Amino acid sequence: MRKTVLFLILSLLSYLFLIVPFAGYMRSKPIVEKLGYVPTVAVLKAASADQKELMCALLVSKVLMYFGGLLDKQKNELSISPDYPAMSRMIHGSVQLDPYNMDAYYFAQAILVWDVGKVDIANNLLNYGMRYRTWDWYLPFFAGFNYAYFLKDYPSAARYYRRAGELTGSDLFKSLAGRYMQESGRTDLALAYLYAMEKGEKNPAIKKSFRTRIKAFQEVRRIEVARDKYRETSGSLPATVDALVREGLLSPPPVDPYGGRFFLEQDGRISTTSKFAFATREKEGEKNKGQGER
Amino acid sequence: MGNIVRITLKGIFRDRVFQGILVTALVFPLIPSIATLSMRQVTELSLTLSLSLISFILLLLSVFLGGTSLWKDIERRYTYSVLGLPLARSGYLLGRFGGTAVFLLLAAFVLGVAAALVVICTSGMYPPDRPVVWANVALCILFDAMKYILIVASAFLFSSLSTSFFLPIFGTIALFLAGNVTQQVYDYIHSTAGSTLSPLVRHTASGLYYVLPNLSAFNLKVNAIYGIPVSVSGLLLTACYFVIYTMALLTLSVLIFSRRELR
Repeated sequence: MRKTVLFLILSLLSYLFLIVPFAGYMRSKPIVEKLGYVPTVAVLKAASADQKELMCALLVSKVLMYFGGLLDKQKNELSISPDYPAMSRMIHGSVQLDPYNMDAYYFAQAILVWDVGKVDIANNLLNYGMRYRTWDWYLPFFAGFNYAYFLKDYPSAARYYRRAGELTGSDLFKSLAGRYMQESGRTDLALAYLYAMEKGEKNPAIKKSFRTRIKAFQEVRRIEVARDKYRETSGSLPATVDALVREGLLSPPPVDPYGGRFFLEQDGRISTTSKFAFATREKEGEKNKGQGER
Repeated sequence: MGNIVRITLKGIFRDRVFQGILVTALVFPLIPSIATLSMRQVTELSLTLSLSLISFILLLLSVFLGGTSLWKDIERRYTYSVLGLPLARSGYLLGRFGGTAVFLLLAAFVLGVAAALVVICTSGMYPPDRPVVWANVALCILFDAMKYILIVASAFLFSSLSTSFFLPIFGTIALFLAGNVTQQVYDYIHSTAGSTLSPLVRHTASGLYYVLPNLSAFNLKVNAIYGIPVSVSGLLLTACYFVIYTMALLTLSVLIFSRRELR
């Protein structure tokens, strides 16, 4: 009996010694590693038996927590590049388990479209979702925005906005397509969309991501206003964004919250070296290359 | 037979299985807070989690109660004294099955009420875009219970075949997993991608599709979670499928059990 009690005390003490370094190791485990490996959809489908909806929800929350964790840890500066392809694969896999899961489509639209830039893939995903979520106006609304803003395919955008309008019974979407079809209205289109998305968002990580994006587009809008003033007075486009600052048209100087640098394209459009996404290793490389050439 | 049903139920309650379920059901109050992790479908996520928890508990109950009921009696040599009474073996087996099935229905009802409370609470805090279709939720839980009663029947078949504990438990789990993918495999081998498979594989898979239970028919989770209309004729067909398949499994079990030498 005494031996057993001694053994129990020894086990408890060893556990106490171990748990602190163990918890420390788990907390500091690289975030990318935490997204982990997920088997193929066919295997997941078979293994999840009658729990496919749960499996889908788990995959989506895994991606969300991974992304939220990255944002939290790095305070908007991602020194570890997020594994966007893995996130995208997981989201695409999850909707094959439960094609009705709105969180998956929403995350793909809120984060992956902007940061990965694979708009065609995103639109395919949205079209896939529309086949199932036939009542949901969000999906055609997202697709309409993607067509108008990213692809500049205005007839397709109008078609999707019309569909969103039919589903909500509101004329707002029908007029949206027409209102922003001008190149000059692109920033306003993006801002209107982002304001609407940010307002309805309750997840802190996604909300933060929207706010950062809104801040970036507000800066673009500010530069556009200054550029137009410059053009009115001098009759030509400014050479650089710095010229606008020097002329006193742009004060304080614009700051890209993604860590990039704003510049004027030859046709006067405003771009940024960050491409409105947090730096990733590949993008960092591209950026350096781009800056070297300039 | 009625007596055996009653005794079985009493035995299950005496083994504190119901208390075990209640302990597991303590997870239910946590569901609303877990569901708030969802970005756009909090109520739907709480339904997903509640229905998954019910399915999981019913699976454990059906595998362990169904797989151990006969085995335990034979092991403890209860069958000697029971079958010495003027009682047919078929009556004994069907009574044991009936008791387990009634318990599963009871558990499904109690867990269903807990799930309803959870969903009412979540939908009150985060109103869903589309109202919860309660009839679908009830149907989903009922068909889940039917699925697991069918699993119990298959556990009884395995139990009547073997004196060991392993075949009923692992056989039932394997059948459960296979029963959930048969439809998927069948759809695959009849798609263009599946046409490259050898005819032997395709015919074997087709044959198994008709022999193994098709459990995906009982899965109404998507209809319950997203309020998608259910097909009444489909449900009637599934209910008939359940009755006939369970009847066939039980008849086979009775046949084997009646011929078995119990020492």
